[in-house]
Amino acid sequence: MTWTWFHRLGSPPHAYALAARLTPWFAWTAAALIVAGLYGGLVLAPPDYQQGDDFRIIYVHAPSAWMSLMVYTTMAVSAAVGLIWRMKVAHAVAASCAAIGASFTFAALVTGSLWGERMWGTYWVWDPRLTFELILLFQYMGYMGLRSAFDDVQRADRASAVLAVVGVVNVPIIHYSVIWWNSLHQAPSVMQLGRPTMPAAMLIPLLMMFLGFTLLFLALLLVRMRAEILDRERTATWIREAVTS
Amino acid sequence: MVARDIRLAFRKRGQLVQPLAFFAIVTTLFPLGISPELSRLRDVAPGVLWVSALLASVLALELLFRDDAQDGTLEQQALSGQSLTWLLFAKTVAHWLLTGLPLSLMAPLAALSLGAPIVSLGGIVISVALGSVALSLIGSIAAALTLGVKRSGALLSLLTLPLSMPVLIFGARATELAMTGAAFGPPLYLLGALAVLGVTLAPLAAAAAVRINLE
Amino acid sequence: MNVFLEMGGYAAYVWPSYGLTLGIIILNVVWARRLLARSRAEARRRLATRGEPR
Repeated sequence: MTWTWFHRLGSPPHAYALAARLTPWFAWTAAALIVAGLYGGLVLAPPDYQQGDDFRIIYVHAPSAWMSLMVYTTMAVSAAVGLIWRMKVAHAVAASCAAIGASFTFAALVTGSLWGERMWGTYWVWDPRLTFELILLFQYMGYMGLRSAFDDVQRADRASAVLAVVGVVNVPIIHYSVIWWNSLHQAPSVMQLGRPTMPAAMLIPLLMMFLGFTLLFLALLLVRMRAEILDRERTATWIREAVTS
Repeated sequence: MVARDIRLAFRKRGQLVQPLAFFAIVTTLFPLGISPELSRLRDVAPGVLWVSALLASVLALELLFRDDAQDGTLEQQALSGQSLTWLLFAKTVAHWLLTGLPLSLMAPLAALSLGAPIVSLGGIVISVALGSVALSLIGSIAAALTLGVKRSGALLSLLTLPLSMPVLIFGARATELAMTGAAFGPPLYLLGALAVLGVTLAPLAAAAAVRINLE
Repeated sequence: MNVFLEMGGYAAYVWPSYGLTLGIIILNVVWARRLLARSRAEARRRLATRGEPR
C-alpha cells in the first residue's frame, strides 16, 4: 500500500477537486436519509410505552450529540495530522469543523434540555454527561476564539491545533460518563453489540438519522474546506480554473 | 532556573499580590451577595472557595510567560539548546510557588470566614495546593498558546476554564468532605492524578505552543 | 392530523426540538455555501487584479 493517496489528498488542488466532486453525493444522500428518518421517527414509529411521543426527540437529540463528538474528534485528528505532517489541507479541515461542531453541540444541549424537562422534571441538571457536553461547547468556542486572535493563518492553524488535541480528552469522558458515573442520563441503548434494546420500527429511523447527519457533516465540511483552501492558497495557478468554472 | 524566576518576580512584588488580593475580594463578595449567616455560607463554602481560587489563578496566568516573552528572553532560552519542555516546567513550578502556594495558604482564612470548622483547614490547604498545581499546569498551556495575543485575559479564561473544570469538581468535593469531617481521600487522589497528568503532559503541549508562537 | 401535531401532549417539547435542529441544519448549509461563494468571489477578484499568473 503506497502513501501516495495520502499525499495527494494533502495537495490543495486535488483535495479541492475531490471535495467538489463528492459534495453533491454526500449532500443529497444526507437529505434523503434525514427526510426518511424524520418520517420514520415522527410518523411510522409507535409511541414509547413509557414516554409516549416525547421520546421522538431522540431523532434529533441523539444524532446532534453524536455530531458534537464526532466533529470534535475529526477536528482533533485533522489538527494532529496538520501538526505532524505540516499539511495545509488538514488544517483547513480542522478549521472547517469548529462552527459545525459548536452548533450541533448547542442543538444537543437544548433538545436534551427540552426532553429532560418532561423525563426528569427539570430543564437542566449538573450530571456528568450534560456538564461535560457543556464544557465541549466552551471548548469549541475557545478554539474559534483562539483562531481569530491570530492574524497569521499558519500560526492560528498550529496554535488552535494544539488546543484541539489537548481538549480531545473530553470526548471519551462524555461518551463513557454514563457508564463510569451514576448518571441521570440514559446508558447507551443503541450502540450495544448484540441485541439492541429498541424495537426495529424505532431503531431504523434513528440509524438513518445518524447516517444522514454524518453525511451532512461531510458535505458541510467539504464545502467549508474548499473555502478555506481558496483563502489559504491565495493566487496559486490552479485556482484560476477552479473558480471560473 | 526556578530560583531565577522567583528572584525576578520578587522585583515586581506588587504584581504577585494582585491575584491573592483578588482571591480575598472575590471570596468576600459572596457573603455580601448571598447572606452573612455562617450556616448558609458553610453550605456554599467549598464551591465559593474553589471558584475564587480558580479565577485568581487564571488572573495569575498572565504573569507566567508574558514578561519573558515580551523582552525576548523566552526566545533566547528557547534557542539556547536547552530543552524547552523542562524550561517551561521550571517556569510553571516557579509560578506555582509564587501564586498557587500562597493561594493554598490563604485558603484556610477564606474558608474560616465562610464558616468552615477548624479541623477541616488542613484538608483544605492540601486540596487547594494540589488543585492549584494542576491549574498552573493547565493554565501554562493556555498562556503559551496566547503568548502573542494582546489583551488576552478573556481568551485565556475561555481556554483555561473548560479544561480546569475537573479540578474544580474534585477540589470542591474534597473540600466539602473535609468540612463535614468525612474522609476526603478519593477526590484528593483524583486531584493528585490530575496534577501528575498535568506534570507529564502540560509542559510538552506548552512547549509546542511556545515554539509555534516564537517562529 | 391533530393527533400528530399534538404529539400526545408533548407538542411544546417535541416541535421546538425539531424546529431548532432543522434550523441549525439549514443555518449550517446556508452559511457554508455563503463562505464558499465569498471565497470564490474573492479569489476571482484577486486573480483579476493580478493579471495573468506567472
